[in-house]
Amino acid sequence: MINTKILLITGCAFGLTACTDYEGGLGRGYPSDKTVDRGIDKKHLSQLQAGIWVDPNGCDHWIIDDGVEGYLSARLDKFGKPVCSGVAPPTQTVGDFKGGSKIRDPN
Amino acid sequence: MVNTLSKAIRALAGLSMVVALALQASAADAQTRSQQGRDKGVYTPTIWVDPDGCEHWVMDDGAEGYMTPHTNRQGIPVCRRGNVCGVMNSDQFFATDSYRIHKSGRERLAEFFRSTGAVSYIITGHTDSRASDAYNMRLSYNRANSVAAIAQKSGARIADVRGYGERMPAATNSTAAGMAKNRRVEIICIR
Repeated sequence: MINTKILLITGCAFGLTACTDYEGGLGRGYPSDKTVDRGIDKKHLSQLQAGIWVDPNGCDHWIIDDGVEGYLSARLDKFGKPVCSGVAPPTQTVGDFKGGSKIRDPN
Repeated sequence: MVNTLSKAIRALAGLSMVVALALQASAADAQTRSQQGRDKGVYTPTIWVDPDGCEHWVMDDGAEGYMTPHTNRQGIPVCRRGNVCGVMNSDQFFATDSYRIHKSGRERLAEFFRSTGAVSYIITGHTDSRASDAYNMRLSYNRANSVAAIAQKSGARIADVRGYGERMPAATNSTAAGMAKNRRVEIICIR
């Protein structure tokens, strides 16, 4: 976590794109409205593009790499049980989950 | 004497109100550094809809993102559409109290699984509310397993098999038509 922060701040100092996500945020903080992605890849969060990450038990999660932000949320069936589809082996990802943002980050 | 006593009580009541107010104030003061920013610790989410059609709470806090499934208080996901891709009317596939599928039913099912081509399937059996809960749990599970066996033989991958008995009705159990609708095996397609 600390490493990530240092990396991002260094990124800002060198003028990398990642720092634009901090626009208006650094120091003062963001307002309560957390419903949008600010900065150069700005968009409403309903437009996020997900893939699947299979957890070590074999169950599916939605994974999204949106530039500087990462998201992970359980895939559930209509009864609220985890979906363990077997689409890939445990710890494997499936789908273009980094495709929703043009911001480049090391991973 | 009485006067002094009531005065004392009033003083005590006043004091307890002051203490209560102080406690309230200290609850607000107990907020950590994380609530000191412009948002005062209030995080208003929006909704992201996953490819299955189900909602998730999502928040972007600058360089962090957060997400969690939107469920109701019973843990049932809030979805805009379902992934049930087949509902088998039990009356067409099973005799009363039986979980054996007759030949033409088996052929229809095999054809369904061969042509649907999902990544995998979740099979859930359901009954109407007649007979005991325990009996219905067992019967619905046995019926779901019969369907899953055919799916597997047709080359389909089965993610899960469950019997819900009479606990997840699709219609009312107070009419014959409703009960017939509740006697079913649902097939969820995972794409």
